[in-house]
Amino acid sequence: MTSLLLWKEHLKGFYNRYSYGIQPVIRFLFALCTFLCLNANIGYMSKLKNPLVVVLVCLVSALLPYGAIVFLAGCLLIAHVFAVSPEMALITLVLILTVAVLYYGFKPGDSFLMVLTPLAFLFKIPYAVPLLVGLGGSLASVIPVGCGVFLYYLVMYVKQNAGVLTSETSVDLVQKYSQILKSVLFNQTMMVMIATCAVGIIIVYLIRRLSMDYAWVVAIAAGSVAELLVIFVGDFVFGVTVAVGELILGILLSVAIAVVYNFFIFTVDYTRTEHVQFEDDDYYYYVKAVPKMNVSTPDVKVQKISTRKRSTRERNEY
Amino acid sequence: MLNEEKVRYMTQLAIFEKNQGKKIFPINRYFKKDYVGGQMFRSFFGYTFCYLLVLLMWVIYKLDKLLNDMSIDEILDAGERWGVIYGAGLVIYLLITWIVYSRRYDHAARSQSMYVSKLKHLMKRYEKDKSERMRDNRGGRAR
Repeated sequence: MTSLLLWKEHLKGFYNRYSYGIQPVIRFLFALCTFLCLNANIGYMSKLKNPLVVVLVCLVSALLPYGAIVFLAGCLLIAHVFAVSPEMALITLVLILTVAVLYYGFKPGDSFLMVLTPLAFLFKIPYAVPLLVGLGGSLASVIPVGCGVFLYYLVMYVKQNAGVLTSETSVDLVQKYSQILKSVLFNQTMMVMIATCAVGIIIVYLIRRLSMDYAWVVAIAAGSVAELLVIFVGDFVFGVTVAVGELILGILLSVAIAVVYNFFIFTVDYTRTEHVQFEDDDYYYYVKAVPKMNVSTPDVKVQKISTRKRSTRERNEY
Repeated sequence: MLNEEKVRYMTQLAIFEKNQGKKIFPINRYFKKDYVGGQMFRSFFGYTFCYLLVLLMWVIYKLDKLLNDMSIDEILDAGERWGVIYGAGLVIYLLITWIVYSRRYDHAARSQSMYVSKLKHLMKRYEKDKSERMRDNRGGRAR
């Protein structure tokens, strides 16, 4: 444990020293990951798939805030979807605009969740998002996470039905539009996943704020169980099928990620908890103070002690 | 010579200005009622815009039925339903806006008063230093 804490301190020190360089690199990787995933799954507009364009956009993104990267990702998504079906692009645009105006009008600063959630789904660790958001975010983050889930299923729908969407069949525009809307909005798997994420976030958030010992660890465990329960309920009630192996592996991986996050953000020593009680003119205070686990990094300095070279005269004397 | 306390205060103030200044100073230019009212006004237009977008989508979705099968009564019923949705949604959304921006205003006011008290403390330090310097120089000949 001590070596892990030492390693954490080293990492923190490294980040503090080079944060000006690390942050643009993280933003670049975030943008690269997003744009490559979009191009790999629904890259129907060939001009935007050009590696030079992707790298250039990512380089620009490295200098922009996360909100602007999400905006760029949204534009790219709509452009790709438009190449397949303008009706689908209209639905996507309306959804993104609605969320942008109604939710992001409050400037909550968590727009990256709308992109991070579909990415987590693509990397088969969707259950990590509710755990991490519950641990580090607020209850309002249910909205961007829910929208992220919607966007993922929208991308999957476009990917799976690209042939049908592009074909010039006899189905008229209104009928086609109705069909798309029905398939996208009333997708039961999507509903169950949105419910899973929402329940996961709420449970983790509420438990980790309790003043009991090991609240964060209990929150991670309870959140994972709650997510599993919602999926089982979805399975029984709505007949939503989820691959069991993938589900268990995803949950385990998500728990591991959440534990790592917990280690970096909230490492405390409950064995040295202090309970103190005092009062002032207005209040009685019942304070529980939990000390943070901190280790000071050893300042190792290697000093070479070399014997003085003997001069020629000294050597000759012997 | 460097005065450590003053440097510490100035650093704190500069960090505060850098991190919170953009959020807090514009808010404190208004009275609470004006600020929250303005945000609610903006929210009203935002909500109405989004509502119209969703309504447009619904109209396209039901266009076939609207043009062929729906009677006038059904259309009126649907209109009433959408009206109720608009009204209820607007009330809820405006309530959320009011809560969020009232809290933001209160937080900004608290932060501003803290900032001002720190500024006053810093000014007092400056005045104290100045008076000490003047006292030290008293009686000296100008060179």
